[in-house]
Amino acid sequence: MIKFVLMVNQQGQTRLSRYYEPVELSRRAALEAAAVRCCLSRNKDQCSFVEYKDFRLVYRQYALSVFLLIFMFNIKSNFVEVLDKYFSRVIMFNLDSVHVILDEMIQNGHIVETNKSRVLAPLTAINKMVDG
Amino acid sequence: MSDVVEKTLTALPSLLSLDSQPGSAKLSTNSKLGNLIRGITELTSKHEEEKLIQRELLSIKEQVSSPNTTMMKELMVRTIYCEMLGYQASFSYIHAIKLAQQGNVLEKRVGYLAVSLFLDESHELLLLLVNTVLKDLQSTNLIEVCMALTVVSQMFPKDMIPAILPLVEEKLSHSKEIIRRKAVLALYKFYLIAPNQVQHIHNKFRKALCDKDPGVMSASLHIYLQLIQENPEGYKDLTVSFVTILKQVVAGKLPMDFNYHCVPAPWLQIHLLRILSLLGKNDQRYTSEIMYEILDESLRRAEMNHNITYAILYECVKCIYTIHPKSDLLEKAAKCIGNFVLSSRINLKYLGKNQKKK
Repeated sequence: MIKFVLMVNQQGQTRLSRYYEPVELSRRAALEAAAVRCCLSRNKDQCSFVEYKDFRLVYRQYALSVFLLIFMFNIKSNFVEVLDKYFSRVIMFNLDSVHVILDEMIQNGHIVETNKSRVLAPLTAINKMVDG
Repeated sequence: MSDVVEKTLTALPSLLSLDSQPGSAKLSTNSKLGNLIRGITELTSKHEEEKLIQRELLSIKEQVSSPNTTMMKELMVRTIYCEMLGYQASFSYIHAIKLAQQGNVLEKRVGYLAVSLFLDESHELLLLLVNTVLKDLQSTNLIEVCMALTVVSQMFPKDMIPAILPLVEEKLSHSKEIIRRKAVLALYKFYLIAPNQVQHIHNKFRKALCDKDPGVMSASLHIYLQLIQENPEGYKDLTVSFVTILKQVVAGKLPMDFNYHCVPAPWLQIHLLRILSLLGKNDQRYTSEIMYEILDESLRRAEMNHNITYAILYECVKCIYTIHPKSDLLEKAAKCIGNFVLSSRINLKYLGKNQKKK
């Protein structure tokens, strides 16, 4: 199960974080920093899966200088692809909408929906209601 | 990239903007959050960041307590950002709940989002949310029902489950598939936190499994994965159903938009393969025999050309090794592992190594 999802920029500053298990606020910053250090220090030739304490991190780097880290307990498959589709053109200033999309896709640490149109449907509907 | 993906990605920026004006006007609507993020990015020391955020939080605190709260949604988003960086803003929790209660649709969504980010299951303020959720579940506006169900599946106080259970159960037979799907996921959450309270509705899960909408059916697989992990023997009779579903998926019977890079519903396939491997574990022979054909088919169909097919192959191979052995399937699986390990892609080598270990 996914423990948390994290998106950071190249300086390692958190752009988005979503936890699927209760983690105390004070511990989060330290955990994020350590995990990010772990991934940032790897080069391109190294594999995207890293062991860190009792987590397995899966990460991917994007051209828009946004890393994507996903912490998983039991890595079974590579699903970085699905987040790739949605977040490659995301504008970070719309934090709430990004969270809405993420919530539609991952709940309770499990991927629940990967169908593009279904994930975006609630957001489209809300925006329509606001405009119309 | 396929046309559909291209279209979705080009539509995404306009969907994400809060007003319909293009370009830089987008940022000006969110200028306060934008300024804050830019400010944080430019700072170099943790001390300065702390000062900036504390100032920001003080200003937000003043504004939320004032009676004029048209900017509440925007204030909440900034608070979410501050908390994300690790600075507690507990004064805002109650305002988040109020926003979810009183706001229009967009404000409600932000309110619910803020609540799910700020609070955890044992927080006492969560009880205040229950009434709002109950009201929204009964609303005629489907978007509100969806939002309520989403929040319920993220966190809900265990003691209030009996109050909300009948409403959620009722949603299982709603005409809209998105609501049925979210209701199934809410019940999954209830099962995780209080299994004895949902004992009586296991037959409804079976109905969800046979639902004509693939989304609802795949949501029910989450519950089944959990149930089967706890008691594989009790669900062996469902093996045939799972194999049939997998056969239909692999044969491309699902609607086109479930395809991902030309692979039909890969996550669904992976889920089904995991369930089948649990059912076939420690098996004498009978259950596993039902699976051989479809495992063979999946191995054949998933060619080594994309990340997601590697994932399906990985699960397939794992399944083959867990169930009652069959020699030619084992041979094919071993060849597959060989391909992974010999591949030039480093991630595949890692997967191959993992499989060999198990």
